[in-house]
Amino acid sequence: MINSILLVDDENLFHLVFEDACSLLDITLDLQTLSSAEEAEELFKKWHIDSTGKPECVFVDLNIIGSAFDGIELVRRINYEHGNGVVVGIISSSADQEEISRSVHAGAQFWIVKSDEIEPRLESFRDDYEDYKTRTGSFKVYK
Amino acid sequence: MIRLCAADEQHLMDVASQRNVYLEGNILKLIESDNEDFQAYLKKAKELDQTNRKKRLDITKQFQAQNKALEKKAEENALLNGELQEALNASKESANKVMEQNKKLQESHSKNENLMEDLQEALEKAENAKKTALNDLNVLQQKTQFELIGNIVNVALWIIVGVGVSTTIMYGLSIWTGHETTLLGNTWSNMFGILLTNSFSIIGTIMGVKYATNDNGHKEKKDTQ
Repeated sequence: MINSILLVDDENLFHLVFEDACSLLDITLDLQTLSSAEEAEELFKKWHIDSTGKPECVFVDLNIIGSAFDGIELVRRINYEHGNGVVVGIISSSADQEEISRSVHAGAQFWIVKSDEIEPRLESFRDDYEDYKTRTGSFKVYK
Repeated sequence: MIRLCAADEQHLMDVASQRNVYLEGNILKLIESDNEDFQAYLKKAKELDQTNRKKRLDITKQFQAQNKALEKKAEENALLNGELQEALNASKESANKVMEQNKKLQESHSKNENLMEDLQEALEKAENAKKTALNDLNVLQQKTQFELIGNIVNVALWIIVGVGVSTTIMYGLSIWTGHETTLLGNTWSNMFGILLTNSFSIIGTIMGVKYATNDNGHKEKKDTQ
């Protein structure tokens, strides 16, 4: 089980879906959700100084409507500006290869395609999680 | 993990049996117990929680799908509205162009009317000038004719007077000198009669020409009126 997860997604309904799916699949007991990339960046700035409450894994939506920058840029900033140490990846309804390549360059470790059947993908991710945590798992797209 | 005291476990089991109310949420995953009855309670509570979560997940997914469909519809509507707005703007622009063209046409029409009025005035002036010129020409012609007639009359009168005077002088000299005057007297008498007749004829002709000219002038004046 993952100790704590941070989900950054502008769609509030997906927060509920993700929360229920995580509970049903015993993925985590500690889920925090945010709706904007700016809020997430502020928290990572804080955690860069004091890591109390810092999540173990971060799921970032590709297009965070209402934010000044997209999910891939947030992943890049988390990895390169605000200290590494978390498993971070993209969760998006898009599976555009160009965007996926961008996310790899930004340091994303996985890409989960959102759909009505998100549970099987989260289950596969849960099974691979230890490899991501130990940085031994390669980038993977969950379709 | 969390362990509850026996009294609390019993209290929770009583609430479940009496009111059918169970603990729910992730807290259930953190509670453990050696009491078999409470383990059964926890198992049932977890099953109920999972059932409820599944229901909520399905409903949330339905809402999510409906929300996405609505968003898609809203985007389509926005696109349609945009197209309609563009069409409306285009039609407004066309209407403005038509109005501008109408305005220009009206201006041109007004200019043409003004030009027509100017041309009409110019035509009237030209016609008046033509009439004036024709009148002047007529007057000039009449003047020339009068002068010619005057000259002819003068010459004719001088000739008549000259012939009369010379014949009279010859007749007078014949009488004074005592020569034969029968032929000369008859000649003088005939000549004088002829000269008088011709003189009156000339005067009559002159009067007739003058009257006719004045009559033509009156007629022309009546025509122009």
